[in-house]
Amino acid sequence: MSAENSTGGLAIVDKYYQGYGSRARELKKQGKQIMGYLCAFTPVEIITAAGFVPFRIKGDVNEPITKADTEMETIVCPLVRSWFDMSLKGKYEFLDGLVISHACDSMARSKDIWKYTLGLPYFHFIDTSHAIDDSSLDFFVSILGTFRKSLGGFIGQEISDESLAQAIRVYNENRQRIWDLYELRKSDPPLLSGAEMTRVLVAAMGLPVQESIKLLEGVITEVKQRQPAVGAKLPRIMVVGAEVDDAAFIELIEDAGASVVTDDLCPGGREYRAFVKTEGDPVAAIAERYLRGIMCGRSYVEQKGTYPEYLEQRFGHIARAAKEYNVDGIVLYIYKYCDPFGFEVPAMKSYLEAQGIQVLYLEDEYSMSTVGRLRTRIQAFLEMLGTR
Amino acid sequence: MKSQYFAGVDIGSTMTKVVIMDQTTLTPVIGPTGPEHRKLANRVMEEALAKAKLSFDEITYVVATGYGRINVPFADKQITEISCHARGVGHLLPDARTVIDIGGQDSKGIKLKAGRVVDFVMNDKCAAGTGRFLEVTAEGLGVSLEDMGRLSLEAKNRVEISNTCTVFAAQEVVARLSEGVALPDIIAGLHEAIATRIYGMVRRLKIEREVALTGGGAKNIGLVKALEAKLGFPALLPPEPLLTGAIGAALLGRDIVQEAAEKGETLVRSERRLTEASIFT
Repeated sequence: MSAENSTGGLAIVDKYYQGYGSRARELKKQGKQIMGYLCAFTPVEIITAAGFVPFRIKGDVNEPITKADTEMETIVCPLVRSWFDMSLKGKYEFLDGLVISHACDSMARSKDIWKYTLGLPYFHFIDTSHAIDDSSLDFFVSILGTFRKSLGGFIGQEISDESLAQAIRVYNENRQRIWDLYELRKSDPPLLSGAEMTRVLVAAMGLPVQESIKLLEGVITEVKQRQPAVGAKLPRIMVVGAEVDDAAFIELIEDAGASVVTDDLCPGGREYRAFVKTEGDPVAAIAERYLRGIMCGRSYVEQKGTYPEYLEQRFGHIARAAKEYNVDGIVLYIYKYCDPFGFEVPAMKSYLEAQGIQVLYLEDEYSMSTVGRLRTRIQAFLEMLGTR
Repeated sequence: MKSQYFAGVDIGSTMTKVVIMDQTTLTPVIGPTGPEHRKLANRVMEEALAKAKLSFDEITYVVATGYGRINVPFADKQITEISCHARGVGHLLPDARTVIDIGGQDSKGIKLKAGRVVDFVMNDKCAAGTGRFLEVTAEGLGVSLEDMGRLSLEAKNRVEISNTCTVFAAQEVVARLSEGVALPDIIAGLHEAIATRIYGMVRRLKIEREVALTGGGAKNIGLVKALEAKLGFPALLPPEPLLTGAIGAALLGRDIVQEAAEKGETLVRSERRLTEASIFT
């Protein structure tokens, strides 16, 4: 891996990963409007079509949560509290507004705290339904129509179908570039490490989508020039969990002697799996992709067929990805107080194990001070995989 | 052929265990880990070498394990205590399919097959369900830790300790004492509480017979009885429950050397010296 010091994609990734938000701050100075949002369930196409730069709020595992705890109960998951803590500490002072989607209770129940404490010029809550059946989809189309109107009202101009269609095309292209990069992880050993991939994904989610595409193209060009590494083959690991917006945990796994080769995470495999349809009503297409395309523990999949069939519907995509990327074991990484994923654990674990996949379940607190405690378990898991 | 010697160094939170093995004999030394000793694994190793009448150069391979395994500069390899316990128990008690290890700072359950780990669970986030729970509550009762197990068996009317948190349980114990509850009844309640906690965790592995108990907790007769009552059958105990990790470490070292010899490979060994750890982590 020789091109590390070049001025190519990965050097830019490091700049934006380390200084997360620096590009948005620059753009703000140039007169752009920046719209903050939480979580993959926010339809960034609509925000972009309205002329804003969408900016994903990110936490920091190295920053102890201090300010947030006076405003938010500790029953809110540590990830959301870290996001809020960063916001209170002025890391995202450039925001013109904030959009929160009803992804999980920690976000939905804290929306008023976000709204009134930050006091930004624009705030909107998208009531994303938890069920994904047809009537829920009708409801969600209508909810997104309301969001479109609300945002249009804020800028004093209707958001046109053309600008939505344009945004849809660009975001689909962005998703395609991410999958192009994932493709380079299929070789053994992979051409880029899991920690590098996480840094790319995090850097990209803080950029306007056009710049994200450029960044990804630069990284792909750079990584393709790498020579496959020689030496001992390492266990290939897939990480499954909620949102991992910091590379520390992935580094911990790789430092123990493994390659993280794919994931079902946000940002990552779960967030970018589905594309938005380019024909028909753009809002309906966006609604369908966000409600049904993101296979997240927060959604209720309609119970159909036998129990094994139902499990296949909910978790089949994880097993398929594990096979596609030739995975040796899955690390199931769950934050404390994360209800949606916590509830999924027993069913998901037993489903994956029934598919012959070894699973290590870890619970964590979104803090570097606790990440070290997981080291022994990860090492033991890798030793276990190594002796099979 | 010259004899080969393998050393296993298990640095737990409370005790440091070293064994030196050849094919037939075993020399063990057990000493406290303590805050100062944490970087002095070499002292315990020196003691074991003196006992075995060997010099450090005569040791073929050293494997370190336990939560302090990274503080052993003279080890050739670090292997987690999960793998080492499985290997050690697999050797000592070949019928065991499940291991329950109760240490000073953590407790764990391991499923094993032919000395290899198949699955495991671990609690290291909370003192409840570890040796620390008994240590803290023993202090509150003014009873030495060694007497706790024996006293628990004298209970006539075991009390229910409702707090799972170690700190609150210690307060609850003091309150029971002031109510005049007999000491053995309280101590039996404490053993029941810790056994419930450990059993609940290990049960997630789908316990299979036989079950081996290891670690300092396995030396406490009260805890052994309480766990056996939950299991519904007697557990297996190794001759010295503190040593399974160190024995497993030494055996894994032997496996590594044998495997390398079979493949005709030369082992790349660390430039180990018998020194104390320079970095305290």
